[in-house]
Amino acid sequence: MDKMSMWYDRMGHCVINEEMLRKAVEEQGPQGRAGRIAKEGGIQYDEVIQLRLEYKKILQIDHLWEFTSLTKLQLNNNSIEKIQGLEKLTNLLWLDLSFNKIKMIEGLEALVKLQTLSLSNNQIPAIEKMDTLEHLEILSLGENVISQIDNVIYLRRFKNLRSLNLARNPICQETNYKIFVVAYLPDLVYLDFRLVDEQTRERALTEINVMTDNELKEKRAMEAQKITEQELQLHKDAFVEYLNGPQLFDSMFADDAEESRLASLPGVPKLLETYQTELVALCMQIFETGLIQHAERKNEGDSFFTCCREAVSDNQQRAAQIVTDFEESRRQVMAEMQKITDPELLEAQRDNYSEKISQLSDTLMTLELQLVDQLEDVFKEFERNISDMVGAFIENVQGIFAQCRELEKHYHEKLQEIALATLEKMARNELEEDMPEDMHLLLVDKDTVVKAVSASHDTHQLKIDNREDELMTRINSWMSAMMKSVQDEEVTRNRKRISEIRNYLEYVRNQLDEIILPEQQ
Amino acid sequence: MEMLPEVEPELEEAELQEEEAEQEEEEGGEDGGLSELRELEETLAKVQIAPSAAQLLDPKAEADSSKLPVSYRENSAKEKLLQTMADNFNCQYSYLYPDRTPLLLCPLNECGVQKFVSTTLRPTLLPYPEIYHWQGCASFISDFLSLQPLDPPVDLPKKLCSPTWTLRTQKGTCFEFSTLLCSLLLGAGYNAYCVSGYAMKEMCLLNQNRQECPLLKPQVKKAVVQQKEEKTKYTVKPPHDLYSRFEKRQEQKRQEEARVALLSQQQEAQRLQEERERPPPDPLLGLRVHCWVLVLSGNREVPENFFIDPLAGQSYPTTSEKFLGIESIWNHQNYWVNMQDCRFGCTEMTFDLGNPVKWEYLLRGSTSHNILLNSDTKTQNDQEDEEEEDEETEEVFEMPPSWVSRIHISQEDMESRYPGGTKLIQYRQATVEKFAPYLMKDGLITRLTTYNDLDCTHPNTVTEWYKHRHDHLDERELEKATGLTTEHFRPGRSYALKCHRYVTLIPETERQMDFYSRFRVDDLASRVETPSEMTETFENRPDFLYHRQVVYDKQVLSFEPAENAKQVRRPIKKVVEKFHRDHSKAASEDVAKRVFLLSEDQIQVTYHLEEDRSIPAWRNFIKPRDWQNTFTPQLASSFQVDPRDEPDKELFLYEALMALMAEEKNVLTGIQDSEEEVRAILDARQQEESGITLQISIYDTARNEKARMYIEELKRLAEEELLNKEEKELDILAPFLAKLGNPASLTREQVQQLVADCLAEMKQRLVDRANLIQARFEKETQELQQKQQWYQKNQLTMTQEDEDAYLAYCSDAMFRIHVVKLRLNRHKDKAPQMYLALRDKLRRDPRLIQHLW
Repeated sequence: MDKMSMWYDRMGHCVINEEMLRKAVEEQGPQGRAGRIAKEGGIQYDEVIQLRLEYKKILQIDHLWEFTSLTKLQLNNNSIEKIQGLEKLTNLLWLDLSFNKIKMIEGLEALVKLQTLSLSNNQIPAIEKMDTLEHLEILSLGENVISQIDNVIYLRRFKNLRSLNLARNPICQETNYKIFVVAYLPDLVYLDFRLVDEQTRERALTEINVMTDNELKEKRAMEAQKITEQELQLHKDAFVEYLNGPQLFDSMFADDAEESRLASLPGVPKLLETYQTELVALCMQIFETGLIQHAERKNEGDSFFTCCREAVSDNQQRAAQIVTDFEESRRQVMAEMQKITDPELLEAQRDNYSEKISQLSDTLMTLELQLVDQLEDVFKEFERNISDMVGAFIENVQGIFAQCRELEKHYHEKLQEIALATLEKMARNELEEDMPEDMHLLLVDKDTVVKAVSASHDTHQLKIDNREDELMTRINSWMSAMMKSVQDEEVTRNRKRISEIRNYLEYVRNQLDEIILPEQQ
Repeated sequence: MEMLPEVEPELEEAELQEEEAEQEEEEGGEDGGLSELRELEETLAKVQIAPSAAQLLDPKAEADSSKLPVSYRENSAKEKLLQTMADNFNCQYSYLYPDRTPLLLCPLNECGVQKFVSTTLRPTLLPYPEIYHWQGCASFISDFLSLQPLDPPVDLPKKLCSPTWTLRTQKGTCFEFSTLLCSLLLGAGYNAYCVSGYAMKEMCLLNQNRQECPLLKPQVKKAVVQQKEEKTKYTVKPPHDLYSRFEKRQEQKRQEEARVALLSQQQEAQRLQEERERPPPDPLLGLRVHCWVLVLSGNREVPENFFIDPLAGQSYPTTSEKFLGIESIWNHQNYWVNMQDCRFGCTEMTFDLGNPVKWEYLLRGSTSHNILLNSDTKTQNDQEDEEEEDEETEEVFEMPPSWVSRIHISQEDMESRYPGGTKLIQYRQATVEKFAPYLMKDGLITRLTTYNDLDCTHPNTVTEWYKHRHDHLDERELEKATGLTTEHFRPGRSYALKCHRYVTLIPETERQMDFYSRFRVDDLASRVETPSEMTETFENRPDFLYHRQVVYDKQVLSFEPAENAKQVRRPIKKVVEKFHRDHSKAASEDVAKRVFLLSEDQIQVTYHLEEDRSIPAWRNFIKPRDWQNTFTPQLASSFQVDPRDEPDKELFLYEALMALMAEEKNVLTGIQDSEEEVRAILDARQQEESGITLQISIYDTARNEKARMYIEELKRLAEEELLNKEEKELDILAPFLAKLGNPASLTREQVQQLVADCLAEMKQRLVDRANLIQARFEKETQELQQKQQWYQKNQLTMTQEDEDAYLAYCSDAMFRIHVVKLRLNRHKDKAPQMYLALRDKLRRDPRLIQHLW
């Protein structure tokens, strides 16, 4: 390492090393008395907020991994050729790498919070590899070698970009450079450090059609999709997704191997049609009940949470008032006690006061326990209500599913009837029309037909059962998850409160003890 | 009553009549000089009576009845016919109902002429928006006129003056009040009637002693729609109650008993109070004659019938017990006599005027819409209908138009409003004094004094309302018992002062100032001071500060002279500042309360509560005494709610302390500014009160000196302009008249000579002009010829330029010659016309006209 640095030194360059960093931090940290105090406290690199390493002839970025809370880093006017070693600086808001020798944009992926980035006066040929910098507001790429004007389109992804500097790049020579940039970045306020005026904006609007038809279509499709997704999410929350149409029916017949063959039997299509309408009607029934129930459950939850919140905040206010009053009186008493010189009197006071502290402890704890009791009661009530609701819903749904099964059974019987009748007809050679090849395979004998029909029936049954099971498991797991989260929250709150009370009491007692000690000496 | 002579050619007669109008029915043969003397005496007496002569507006000069229009002094044929009908009606009425009191049909007017009451109504719509509604009308009438009680109170008046007379004299009986109010209401489109009947004593005498002052009525509380918290499904049970139920019950019982006892006591007291207040029984109850106004529903979106008492300008429902009976009602179209029983007052009265059983009309089929609406003639077939209508239209006698001239209220009267500009109304335990704007030097408009007792001897509170004050004072309330003054200001003052509550104007005493915080840079809303404390409240400050309390130490008695003592600032003991939660910061970093204990050199900072916490974090600092010494961590003590948090770094504490000490300096400066502001406000108030000035709008041409000057200037300019214009019109005869030596009148010969001279002069002028043009023409032609000759001579030796110049000259000269020729021709054409025009003008000249023809 030493050898390397000596080599660098000879070339007039240097690397980032411990000494340079320490010096920079000390120089740029608090000065005067504050600085002395800071030094006594010891300098922690991970607490440094800003760091300036400019005009240091640095060749390579290194050793910065310790500065995790850094928000502003200035590395301008060095000889850096490659952006690297910044992976740990995830809190960085401001990065200045201007006046270096950087050849390409890279290594910035981790800096997701970055708002200001300066890469001017480098040798960058293209704008790229900055996809993660979503918060970018100010970008300076002046005096580089960017030559493709289309490259600007890359910047469209930065929705917050307001200031852009591309001055003295080859693309600036293009005739419509300014209008092009403004057209593609309509939110831009400053271009090349100049306010984008209304005229330019208007010209950009009229002369360049940014939104291609495809883009528009895509946008619309995206919006539509978003709406559907939201709806679907609502349905999923109500546990009745894909029940507002023939989806269940379709899925029942999609996986049915025998279906296509059976469907071509005479009279079956009509049968299928009635079956579909009836089943869809039942599905819609489930769907609607589901949505209604969902809204009801939501209301129930809302009112429960409101109640809890109110109870907690009310209790909290009371406790806070008690503590504030106590703290005020305590400060007075402490001040008074400090003036007492008589050890006996002090002792008496001390005992007196410890008594008061215990009283406070009791009051606060009682208050908290009261709240816990109250919340528990309400919670039980809520749990009961919700499980009642869920139970009723499940029962309702089960009834409808039973009807579905009934329908299926009916269909199955009819189908079997038709199939057997057809078989018979065929046996008697009464069928006039030409049967497809499949049909011949199917209508071999009674066993085959019955087998095929019952296989189809089984598949359908299975689908219905699966859907029902899915609904029930999900609603049950939702319920238990919610109950658990409520309970967990309450436990956390309780712990927090208890620990706070204990902490305070401990503090108060310590303070009391501290008063006594010097007097006893 | 005999008719008065119709024409009074002589002055004496007119004055005699005036005397009659002023003093009822006084016969006298005084001559004119005497009456003038009397008039003068009267006016003088009035001037002396006026409370503060310089202040009050001149009372209305007594109107002169001789200048009234003819319709006031005589009856038209139609009116005479009407009176005959009325007499006839009256005869029948008194015959049929001998036990009923006579009706008021044709009283005398101010000229002593009998006039039918309906024709005394003069529906008029005035161009004042406030008069367009009945409330505005009624309150204006009650404010504008002063009451002359009926004498005796049980008889109908013999005389009913016209509304115009009433307005001029600004006084009248209740009948005149009603007539005027009814005229205005009819003009504004209300279906209004004058009602002659009986009322309670206090109504007739406008005695409001027993009424609550309307200004004192509690402001209609904004219907506190207490959002009845929708009963949520879940509520926490209250904590277990560990008290004995028995004891509680006993306690409740005791309280109940005490409450009942208190209640009965209160009721007793109230009863006694009422007993005391009850007026003595009126021996004339039910006999006192009163006149008021009835407004029927239908027009102007009036939903229900109601009465208006014109004396107080208040409305009452028709079932009000204060009105004891109705004799008759009338509007400008008809007259109805009440045939309903009045034993129970007006409570069960119906006002269906089309019902002849309940209301006896005077004029049949008169155009009252009520009758038209109720008649079912429309069901009959068309022909019959037409015939009937024809018959009716012939028969129907329509009420003659009003003899009263158009009612006019001047802008000044509207403004001064009260007779003489002031009015005093006595209410129950309160008096209200009203003043016209700009009448009082301090801008006082209304003064309300409330009293502790019924006799109004011990004032409780005096509330004064002001207008147009330069110091924006709007209202001042003085509580007599405590000496506490509350002043309310309109926006626009320096320091945005809104309300000031104080006992004395000496600084550092108890007071409260409210401010229009929106208009202040520091968002100060109020400042409450006591000798030892000052509390400031802020609203919507960007730094979330909302409360700052300054506690002063006990004043160290200074032995310096008083002038210096004023400058010595009170030592500050501590300053408490409270902040709202700033959600952009973490709760444990967001300061909730800062206490600067200046006397103990300490600074205490308490932070906001974190979520689910009831104990806030705090940091206490002791200010280092010695600045050069380094900071030691012992100077700071802090409490962190979460024991797992790392303790504060020394550097952080040091910087926090430094920042706080800087803040402390700022706060102290702020307090100093506040104290100075208080002094400034108090000084300003003192100055303003010692020299009150009123604001005059620039649109108020009557009062605004500048505006008046401007308008006068404009007038003057316009006059000058007119003068100039007149001067400009030249007198063609002036020189000839001058030759004659400007005689005052002309003889015939002179005139003829003058005309001849004038015409000859004109002729000469025209000829001269023609000659002049001719001469110019000849000169031009000559010049052109010379030039042409010169050209022909030198044609060969000429350069191109010279030739061009010559050609240009030629065409130029030709043009000029052509123009002169045209002018000559035109002159020749026009000259005779001009000559004739002059002749005509001379003939029309007023000075010559009489001698010429």
